[in-house]
Amino acid sequence: MPKPGDRSSRARRGALRRLRLGDGATLVLLALVLFPFVWLVQMSFRPNTDILGYELAFTPTLAHYRALWTGAFPGSFVNSLVTSTASTALALLIGVPAAYSLSRGGYKSARHIALWILATRMAPPIAFTIPFFLAYRFLGLSDTRTGLILIYLTFNLALVIWMMKPYFDSVPRELEEAAWIDGCGTWSAFWRVTLPLSSPGLAATAVICFILSWNDFFYALILTRTQASTAPVAIVNFIQYTGWEWGRIAAAGTLVMLPVVAFSILVRNYLVRGLAAGGVKE
Amino acid sequence: MRPGGRTSRRRHDAFRAGLAPALIVLALITIAPAVFLVLTSLTPLNLTLPDTAWDFSTPLGNYLDLLDDPRFSRSVWVQVKLSVATVAVQLLMGLGVALLLNGDTPIRRFARSGFLIPMVLPPIVVGIVWRVMYAVDISPFHRFMDWIGLPVGSLITNPDTALMAIVIAESWEWFPFTMLMALAALQMVPAAPVEAARIDGANGWQTFRYVVFPYIQQTMLVAGIFRLIDSIKAFPLIFVLTDGGPGDVTEVTNYYAYRQAFTFSLWGYGSAIATLMVIGIFVLSWAIDRLTRAADAEAG
Repeated sequence: MPKPGDRSSRARRGALRRLRLGDGATLVLLALVLFPFVWLVQMSFRPNTDILGYELAFTPTLAHYRALWTGAFPGSFVNSLVTSTASTALALLIGVPAAYSLSRGGYKSARHIALWILATRMAPPIAFTIPFFLAYRFLGLSDTRTGLILIYLTFNLALVIWMMKPYFDSVPRELEEAAWIDGCGTWSAFWRVTLPLSSPGLAATAVICFILSWNDFFYALILTRTQASTAPVAIVNFIQYTGWEWGRIAAAGTLVMLPVVAFSILVRNYLVRGLAAGGVKE
Repeated sequence: MRPGGRTSRRRHDAFRAGLAPALIVLALITIAPAVFLVLTSLTPLNLTLPDTAWDFSTPLGNYLDLLDDPRFSRSVWVQVKLSVATVAVQLLMGLGVALLLNGDTPIRRFARSGFLIPMVLPPIVVGIVWRVMYAVDISPFHRFMDWIGLPVGSLITNPDTALMAIVIAESWEWFPFTMLMALAALQMVPAAPVEAARIDGANGWQTFRYVVFPYIQQTMLVAGIFRLIDSIKAFPLIFVLTDGGPGDVTEVTNYYAYRQAFTFSLWGYGSAIATLMVIGIFVLSWAIDRLTRAADAEAG
């Protein structure tokens, strides 16, 4: 029977063509979507004399990056690094045991705590900044890294609890119970058995906390001036002082986004869960 | 083996000790500020006039003022336009790209990571990226339009197009979110009914509309509400691109509250606006909770 064979091979060829067409369309669309982003990156390497140029051939220069190195920018980069790392570490330190306790404690109020955490994730930053700004004036925490680390906890702590609890839920209790019988206390069983088994989730959570803190602009804009200003705020500051010096701004933007782009490609499979925090069914 | 009463109580204490620090910190950094915010909103606090702190003589004064503040009602209207437009564009674009990426080829797997980039960029960088695109003298977009003989003026300084310019940038930044959620949902759609519809002669659109879409509509709804809530917090893009202008055509409520508190030092008034925003957002969150619970019940 040649006919059905014919038809199926034609269908297969048709499917293959559709697949290739889809691949082609994907690449074209990707190029279009990423064009504005790529444009900024190439601008950061363009010499000042040719900053407005659009020829693809130009001699790349690191002059803009070198100019950044001498200004206030490196300090702000360090501030970003310190505040993001410290806030992530603190959120993990407080949030991970809490997530585990919520997972194992069998609390009736777990649902209310979950709602509270969702509400924290949803609340508009302006609602936090007004009271924090006024309180920091009295506490002397304005324009300090400590102040930023604390306010970043408002989103990081909620995120850690929200992301880690399902991981702990999925670790079988029998493993811990075996450790308990062997004489481990509750927390040492957690430390030796449950936590290592959840380490991929822990790593992803840490990276997402870091990205969210690193990306923050609003809190740092309001709560810092010069001493503790982070890299995103530093960019705005020198726009205000020196005007739109495109090459330097493009270079600063490229530097600021480098760590997050690298990190987020590493944890892309966890991103939805982290950013949606509660909207996606587990 | 029956767990001994004493060890299980000890374990219970251990869990309580694990939970307590987080709840205390969370209360200090979320509930205390919320109470403080509401209290501030009941005073005419102005940092340049020290007497105004803790003056509760006209507790609802700020809220009554808001009722006849045309700039406030305009900001709510700008917010509605911005939110509706960005959420609609993001849902359509996200779903469209997700359908395209739903095949499993190396190119599409690679593209899935590539399309994520706008969403993870620091918002300030997104602002700069689009500030370059909208700067008439250096933008490749404006150059291209000149070259094909259809020159366009600056989009962000023209009151008629400024909001649209923000919508484009905001949608570009956040369509990857709806795309990711749509992709996750599409991958859960069972193959059998899709195949059956095809054999029954349904065309591509019919298969999508009547077979695939019912499986993903819940996820799309939740994605939409998430984006709706986040669109209410729009700040960095507006800050970099238009600063709320020209005039106040791109001044959303969040931006107006920021101006009142941090530019005009009217903290009581700014707090009242922020309080109203929190209430609005909580109503929306409550809707999400209801929807996800309904979906869970449906799923069994």
